[in-house]
Amino acid sequence: MDAVYKFFRSVKLAVVLILVIAVLSILATLIPQQQDPAFYFHTYSPLAARAVIALGLDSFFRSLLFLVPTGLFFVNLSVCTVDRLARRSRGKAKRRHGPDLIHIGLLVLIVGAMFSVFARREAMVYLAEGEEIVLPGEYTVRVLSFEFEQYEDGRPKAWISTVRVRRNGEDVIPSYPIEVNRPLKVNRVKVYQTSYADQARAILVDPEGVEHGISGGEGFTWEGRLLLFRGLEGAAFPEMERAIFEEWTGHERTDVAVVARGEMIGQYRVADLSSRLVTGLKAVHDPGFLPVVAALIIVAAGLSLTFIQKRRDQEGEQDQ
Amino acid sequence: MIGNITGSAAFGLLIVAAIVQILYLLRKDRKVDGFSHFLQLGAALLLFSITIRRSIQIRFPAITNTFESLVFYAGVIALVLFVYRLLAGQKTLPFISFGATLIAVALLAIASSPVAPSEVVPPIPALQSYWLALHVSLSFVGEAFFAVAFVCSIAYLASRDQERKRRLERLTYTTIGIGYPIFTIGALIFGAVWAEAAWGRYWSWDPKETWALITWLVYTAYLHTRFVKRMRGRWSAILSIVGFLFTLFTFFGVNYLLAGLHSYA
Repeated sequence: MDAVYKFFRSVKLAVVLILVIAVLSILATLIPQQQDPAFYFHTYSPLAARAVIALGLDSFFRSLLFLVPTGLFFVNLSVCTVDRLARRSRGKAKRRHGPDLIHIGLLVLIVGAMFSVFARREAMVYLAEGEEIVLPGEYTVRVLSFEFEQYEDGRPKAWISTVRVRRNGEDVIPSYPIEVNRPLKVNRVKVYQTSYADQARAILVDPEGVEHGISGGEGFTWEGRLLLFRGLEGAAFPEMERAIFEEWTGHERTDVAVVARGEMIGQYRVADLSSRLVTGLKAVHDPGFLPVVAALIIVAAGLSLTFIQKRRDQEGEQDQ
Repeated sequence: MIGNITGSAAFGLLIVAAIVQILYLLRKDRKVDGFSHFLQLGAALLLFSITIRRSIQIRFPAITNTFESLVFYAGVIALVLFVYRLLAGQKTLPFISFGATLIAVALLAIASSPVAPSEVVPPIPALQSYWLALHVSLSFVGEAFFAVAFVCSIAYLASRDQERKRRLERLTYTTIGIGYPIFTIGALIFGAVWAEAAWGRYWSWDPKETWALITWLVYTAYLHTRFVKRMRGRWSAILSIVGFLFTLFTFFGVNYLLAGLHSYA
């Protein structure tokens, strides 16, 4: 037990682990992450592609190759921190609160990051003006308006989704402009402005004469196949607009159908086609963020304190 | 060159400073010149005036593209060298000032090249955050100290004189000791806060983020080898050199070789 404690107390181990994590991270940035296996077989030799997938280098920061040294570093840092504090309490070490705070902050950071990894939730929605989403706690967020401002040279200046938040029929926030860098906070959920799109819409009429609205990216099943509404072609001229539907059987795309107003797709007749401007909003709940912020503040305080202590030490040396 | 006359003047001042320094370096008495640091100060002020003027034009701190970042970075290095000369006086190590001046000159040369367009353009929505201004400016202030440490470490490895090595080693440690907390707070802490506000995720393992973390890990290793285990010397110097080369790769290499969220940086 004593040997294990001494092993994990070692600063040499810390340096080795830090450099191992650095070298592995370099490797990870050189290999494109989160791609399909086919990508790696297309990009690398078969042997290299198999190695990338087997070692988890395609999703490096969730792989054992990264998590094991990081876990060892966490244990190493914990033991070092406890050991420093214990030695200080026995008067066997110099008073150095700065590095202690940095180490404690890093431990809190790793714990907070783990919360984020396992408990963070996010959902992406595209909403037109007048549409709404329901957030946890029965809060409804309705898009009142969406503006896209551009500079004179055409570059984006601002995307602004003005929303209203209600709960149980009462206004909680009557009006709030969500912008990039200015998310809306409701309860424990933040809503971010992330994008906008021209969304294709089709009105489909079933054999009973009931109308169904469908947006680009949505689909329906018909005779065991999925018919996926991909978008519109010829949208510059309304009379030439056609809806593009992909037919999927299992995981295989088996056909592409291009249909005009009045034509049939599956069991439906296409009644109308249109496109509309929608705002892309991302709702995020991350219980790890607060511990991470606390950790960052502790680390920053530790760094400042270390700097002050070093300055005092240097002044003391100069006085002597 | 470098966008306008002010930039060219700053570039010229740094070139003259480097020439003065090398002339003094070639002298046998190894005396420290009493002139070049004022040229460095002049260059720093001119470069900061570019940043201020552009900031007024775009109504936002002008460090939102490669050109503006290079101008600011070179200005901070020049200012750090002036302050170093002021504090060290005749104990200034002339080669350090010369080497770091060359780095500032090289940064401005890149700023005047086509890879860094100098048009004054206001920032896109993702960059309209004061966290970004803090993130970028403090990152470069930290890296300016790393640049000085880099030159010190090269001189350390090249030197055979033990007393000179001791001074170089101490200066490396001092500059990294100042740069490290500034870099940590700027690059990593404020960067994470900005990322959370802009994208809803404080860490995305984006290539630039990852390389900033790798750089930080290298300097963390430096501080531990050098300070805690008293492993001063060759390995500390090598880590200091590698750390600075990584800052350059994080700034330039990632932009042009690895795609990611920071593609505008």
